[in-house]
Amino acid sequence: MPELDAPTLQRGLDAFRARLGQADLAYLDACVHCGLCADSCHYYRMDPSLENIPARKLDLIASAFRRHCTVLGRLGLAGRELDPELAKAWLDAVYGRCSLCGRCSLNCTVGIHLPRIFRAARAALAAMGMVPADLQATVDNSLRHGNNMAITREDWVETVQWLEEELQAETGDPGARIPMDRHGAKILFTVNPREPKFFPLSLQASAKVFWAAGEDWTLASEGWDLTNYGLFNCKDAEAGAITQHLVDAMARLGCQTLVIGECGHGYASARWEGPEWLGRTFPFQVRSILELMDEYLEQGRIQVDPARHPHPVTLHDPCNLVRHGGLCEPQRRVLRRTVTEFREMAPHGAGNFCCGGGGGQLAMGRYKERRLQAGGMKARQIQATGAHTVVAPCHNCIDQLAELNKEFKLKVQVRTVAELVADALILPSPTGAP
Amino acid sequence: MRAVLLSGAWCALALGAQLAAVLARPKKPLFAPAAGRAGAGVRYAFTGAMVPWAKESVRMNPGSYALGMVFHLGVFAAFASLAWPSRPLAGLSLAGAAAGLGLLGKRLAMPHLRGLSNTDDFLSNLLVTGFTALAGLASLVPPAQRLLPWAATALLVYIPLGKIRHCVFFFLSRYHLGAFFGRRGCFPPSGGHHA
Repeated sequence: MPELDAPTLQRGLDAFRARLGQADLAYLDACVHCGLCADSCHYYRMDPSLENIPARKLDLIASAFRRHCTVLGRLGLAGRELDPELAKAWLDAVYGRCSLCGRCSLNCTVGIHLPRIFRAARAALAAMGMVPADLQATVDNSLRHGNNMAITREDWVETVQWLEEELQAETGDPGARIPMDRHGAKILFTVNPREPKFFPLSLQASAKVFWAAGEDWTLASEGWDLTNYGLFNCKDAEAGAITQHLVDAMARLGCQTLVIGECGHGYASARWEGPEWLGRTFPFQVRSILELMDEYLEQGRIQVDPARHPHPVTLHDPCNLVRHGGLCEPQRRVLRRTVTEFREMAPHGAGNFCCGGGGGQLAMGRYKERRLQAGGMKARQIQATGAHTVVAPCHNCIDQLAELNKEFKLKVQVRTVAELVADALILPSPTGAP
Repeated sequence: MRAVLLSGAWCALALGAQLAAVLARPKKPLFAPAAGRAGAGVRYAFTGAMVPWAKESVRMNPGSYALGMVFHLGVFAAFASLAWPSRPLAGLSLAGAAAGLGLLGKRLAMPHLRGLSNTDDFLSNLLVTGFTALAGLASLVPPAQRLLPWAATALLVYIPLGKIRHCVFFFLSRYHLGAFFGRRGCFPPSGGHHA
């Protein structure tokens, strides 16, 4: 923790002020402390203490705003000075007790978009050098190595080559390819580094779907990591630099569409935030692989046999993909075709609970206990469905769900959408006809 | 009545200045292509998103929601009764005062809500509840008639200084929330997926 002297605190305040636009000022002036947001927060549901109420977290920030940014505050009549104690309270509130899931926003009686304010506070903490070290290390890895797990180019390429051999063996098609750096391919597919590192079969599943659909696609040897933890440390310059890796890969390979693998924050970063960080509209489309799989099935480019998944399946909604990303239906349409029995969680869609792994929580060891406790809400939801398999179109969520699986003895399988689709594929015949 | 008018002018000017300061902030241009329409999101934010069954927070707390609605109706009725005194408005004002007391009681009784509360929360409630109560009683109890302008004055003076200024910023907040989620194609929700 850096020394929080006056110049440091001033830097934080300046960074905070710089983030405040018209919407933020309205939000900071609108909370009535009705407290009805409390139960919308998974942290509060699992630990009903004052510090976990979204309005309380907001108030810690709004009080400094009132002191430093309003007439009454400057006269010493309102708010609370941003001192080291309050800065630490911000840190605890916006990193330690919030996954930026935004469920409180939808349940706010006034309509305050709380994660926006929490992000402004994170930006202030970043300016004060208070980003949790392990989260910052993840960002630094992306900046230095081009991916957040510091996987070397050689390892990445070798892994893909190995997976290509596996794909050929699985499909019986010696022509099945996982293209790397194919110039002019229609699609550049990007993945979470967890896939080559820990879940190679997940990447193989996506490749199998592309192969079955006859897609014109490629991976990139550089600029292949879809993750962007700059979304969580709220240093926009760093987030923009990480986004630039993808933009550069698109330009280098001349692809038309950037396809984001199954990842909530990766999708939000590339689709929604990236153009804002870089201050320009991309000359290409950004889409999720979920949309593509939905189209393949709709257009008959792939066919699936739901009997391959006879057990009940439920779906987790990653916050950045669904609540904040607007992608709610494609994955549902895919699963309804792919499995025998699809069971929705209650609630589901935009109202679904966060798994607890969002907001960079998985990269911050110091909050692990709280993260798992808060994930109890998701565990209850899963148990209530009685499902055998939980599908999560996000590798961060999958990591959290895997931990919840152990912690709460859920005895479920946790898989991606592509994995289920790949397993259910009715493979094309060797002649190319399905 | 002059005090009421003067305090009303102060309230309007101060709130207007606060609103102007917020609106003066330049809007950043957005570069990500929209997936939906901001306008549709704003419409939803002020309609579908506000119906009681749209939010889990309301479904779980129907009593608080009802008290809040009656409280706000009472405030509007009380202000209307300053210009057009009538029995229905007096009745609504009294109902609003009762709801205000109910919300105050809830704030005091529930530990998490008490912990969340500050002086402004209590003062705001007392000023509004007092004003609505006096507006409701004005036609029945002569002392209430005399006190009403002073209660209105105190309330109007305080509005721009505390959380009652949400009477303005509520609308701006919902507008921005609706525009944000509308542009991203999240509002209105598809397939009936409410919060």
